[in-house]
Amino acid sequence: MNLMTIQRYKNEIILMFTFLFAISAFYYKFSASDYVDKNRNIIQKQIKEINAIESYKKQWANKSMAKKVKLFKTIVPASKVKRFSKKSSKLIASYINLTSNDLNKITNKLLNIPIQIIKLQIRESSKNKFTMEFTCKW
Amino acid sequence: MNHIISLENSIDIILTPQFYTFIREALDLKFAYKAKQIAESLFDDYLDNSHEYQYHVYKCDNRWCFIAYDINEIGIFLESVGIEKHRVSKIFFAQQLLDTVEFPILLDEQNILQNIDDVVTLVPRQIVNSEVEFKPLDMNALRFKGGVTMGSSLNSYISIKETLMLGSIFCILGTTSIIEGNRIKESITKDDNKLTELLDENPRYTSSLSRESILAKYEPINNVERAKREAIKDISKFLSNKSQLKRLTIEKNRIKAEINTNNRTIKRQVKEHAHAKNFKVSGSSLALKVEKSL
Repeated sequence: MNLMTIQRYKNEIILMFTFLFAISAFYYKFSASDYVDKNRNIIQKQIKEINAIESYKKQWANKSMAKKVKLFKTIVPASKVKRFSKKSSKLIASYINLTSNDLNKITNKLLNIPIQIIKLQIRESSKNKFTMEFTCKW
Repeated sequence: MNHIISLENSIDIILTPQFYTFIREALDLKFAYKAKQIAESLFDDYLDNSHEYQYHVYKCDNRWCFIAYDINEIGIFLESVGIEKHRVSKIFFAQQLLDTVEFPILLDEQNILQNIDDVVTLVPRQIVNSEVEFKPLDMNALRFKGGVTMGSSLNSYISIKETLMLGSIFCILGTTSIIEGNRIKESITKDDNKLTELLDENPRYTSSLSRESILAKYEPINNVERAKREAIKDISKFLSNKSQLKRLTIEKNRIKAEINTNNRTIKRQVKEHAHAKNFKVSGSSLALKVEKSL
């Protein structure tokens, strides 16, 4: 293509380039949109998963729980604590002669602390007296 | 008779006065574009309305020089002498030779170019005094400014006007698309940065398998533990001074409770509430057993 041909078809060449520019820009926009559509879900899913893992770990595998569970030893008078055994990340506790209030106190605490209740047994031993036994871990 | 010319390269041409109409006016205008705006009205009485004219305006001394020309007519002439329009790069007008035409210039056997009252005019040779001295036109000495082009419209299939219009539309659309594309891409930058930050803090979560296995471990724990707590709260709502808890057991993801009621009405109420909370209810007389899988 010599200079004369370029000169002659200058308008067509200008239009061709502007058209190609517009097409390329459209392609860029749609590929950007496609990229975002595909990656936004992936990125958000990853963020959600990581946040969920962090949250679960903080809740159900909290290392500081070992200190918090000590309160199950002192929550009722020592005479009512039949057994309190804390080993590693596991606690076995049993109580006797609990009044309804004692029972409510221990149960509320148990429900509000993020520990895994492996076993729970509450039994009425006599009129308004209860025994309680639970095993939990964190 | 016109000579047919064969060209290899582009050329500039000088048009003699029969191809244009010239007016010189003293106008209080500063800019050529302003002068061009009024050019058409200046030629109103001089031009044939059936033709389509274009105007070339330039400043000459303290006045404005206006030249009206019909580019189609020029094109037809050029083709008749074998000059392809696209080979013409610039067109100049003989009027622009004013400084050069001190002496008459012999164009051919019949015509001369002569300066008459500062207007370059085509004059038949036969009316000129035979003693008049002609001067050859020294093309190398000519210095032209501001010629006009044939206009791409005459060479191309698409006119300059259409080119400008469509080109501008394409450019605007293209630019808008690029801006829009960048904006779209930036919309996930925030999430992307957050993810990078989280992964920097916890590099072991980079692998989706690792994340899935951790979630698979903790999700059931979370669900079951929440269900246990919910079930204990539900059972506590069944209790009152007329319905007492006898036994409650949680073992292997199953919760069971035995509740003693004082009368049939209370029993029925507890039963209804237990059913509403999806507990399986059993038991005869006034003692009820409620249980549920977690």
